[in-house]
Amino acid sequence: MNKTVKITINGEIFEQSVPIRLLLSDFIREVAGLTGTHISCTYEGVCGACTVQLDGAAVKSCLMLATQADGHEVTTVEGLAKDGKLSPLQQAFNDHHALQCGFCTPGILMNMDEFLKKHPNPSDDEIRTGLIGNLCRCTGYAHIVDAVRDAAKRTR
Amino acid sequence: MYPAIIEDYVRPTSVDEALKAAGKYEAGEAMFLAGGQSLMQAVKSRLVRPRCVIDLQALKELKGVSAGGGGIRIGAMTRYVEIMSDPNLKTAYGALADAAEHVGDRQVRNRGTIGGSLCWNYVAACMPAANLAVGSSMELLSATGKKRAVMVDDFIKGPLETARADDEVLLAVTLPAAPAKAGSAYKKWGVVTDALPVIGVAVYLELDGGGAIAKARLAVGGLATGPKRAKGAEAALAGKKAGDPGLAAALDKAASEIETQSDHWADSTYRKNLIRTLGADVLASAFARAAGK
Ligand SMILES: Cc1cc2nc3c(=O)[nH]c(=O)nc-3n(C[C@H](O)[C@H](O)[C@H](O)COP(=O)(O)OP(=O)(O)OC[C@H]3O[C@@H](n4cnc5c(N)ncnc54)[C@H](O)[C@@H]3O)c2cc1C
Ligand code: FES
Ligand code: FES
Repeated sequence: MNKTVKITINGEIFEQSVPIRLLLSDFIREVAGLTGTHISCTYEGVCGACTVQLDGAAVKSCLMLATQADGHEVTTVEGLAKDGKLSPLQQAFNDHHALQCGFCTPGILMNMDEFLKKHPNPSDDEIRTGLIGNLCRCTGYAHIVDAVRDAAKRTR
Repeated sequence: MYPAIIEDYVRPTSVDEALKAAGKYEAGEAMFLAGGQSLMQAVKSRLVRPRCVIDLQALKELKGVSAGGGGIRIGAMTRYVEIMSDPNLKTAYGALADAAEHVGDRQVRNRGTIGGSLCWNYVAACMPAANLAVGSSMELLSATGKKRAVMVDDFIKGPLETARADDEVLLAVTLPAAPAKAGSAYKKWGVVTDALPVIGVAVYLELDGGGAIAKARLAVGGLATGPKRAKGAEAALAGKKAGDPGLAAALDKAASEIETQSDHWADSTYRKNLIRTLGADVLASAFARAAGK
């Protein structure tokens, strides 16, 4: 019923015995106490708010058991800023007002952070297609696309 | 939605170990976990309630695409993100890359696998229809050590049904070495971009020296009864070249012979129109790929 798992989150190791049915999203929020990873579609896997990076790839953490991440590295939104300095993507979101309520933002940042590594010079179409898995109920996406485009420029 | 209690989780490092773990339970009580992009939803909604989850993530022999003289082998655990960009899946088997490239969203493509999609065989899934068109074969291994190959036509049954036994693991999807002039394509339409298809159409073409269709396979997904081949249309496509008005007639045949349902996404007539319009698009792509364009 329980398994001991060892998951590295943002460089810190969390080792704990957890119920097998515990979702990775809940391990992150409740065991590691990192509440930047949000849950917004009652775990249906369709909103993207819970997106984190597993060994560098953007994944929905509510579609995984915590035990599946045993031995792996997870990066959450708390892991983006380094030494108190926002990442270029985070800074661009701030500068372009790419969020309103901010509920969707952590998931979008974790998805777009990986996206920009694979597409350093994306077209607007590619950015919009890349965002399909993340629902935003506030912004209408225009400022998000602006921010991602600008972040790409700043990172290149 | 939250999973019910799961008694055990194992992460075997060999296929034998995976099958042994499955053998400890009654049929259906232990379930293999690939990318989890369908299974986790099913577990959370309690459509299925496995006592044991057997995570296939550590089985290296189930991962990756390899090509040799005998054809192409796609490990069951190969993810969409790998399939959509594989250099071996651009022309004859381009339908598989088309399907993979438009499954859901990036996050789903980073986890979901070809094997998981085929073993789940959801009504609106893309891979079952694309595989029906390209004529792949499923390599299965059972707990008793018996290995068998099952053609996709026999593997895919009704919605959520396949020929796989509960104690069998899908090792790989295999494809014959493609003839020189072969091309395939897949395209779907859904209510939002890259959504589960209301209709998806896949076609595979082999051309003769003169550029006419020597062999065609056309499959449709998004049907209430599961993906189907349109065999009348396939026969009607024989001998036709790109641009021939007979291609449209063949697609009319597909639209009439395939039984389509009406539901809240689209009515039956609209679905038949989708078969025609998506069919024309995939035929054009498949012709171009077969001709090396
Ligand atoms: C938001 C979202 C959008 C989606 N959109 C689409 C879409 O547009 N088109 C589409 O086709 N699909 C879509 N899907 C479904 C997706 O394609 C799934 O990834 C796929 O259906 C299952 O593959 P998986 O690797 O995740 O398998 P899992 O979910 O892990 O497993 C599925 C089933 O197959 C069995 N299984 C898996 N691998 C094996 C094996 N090697 N041997 C034996 N049994 C095995 C499992 O036991 C389980 O019963 C979407 C999913 C989500 C969450
Ligand atoms: S909470 Fe995970 S996708 Fe919505
Ligand atoms: S900013 Fe409110 S949901 Fe995106």
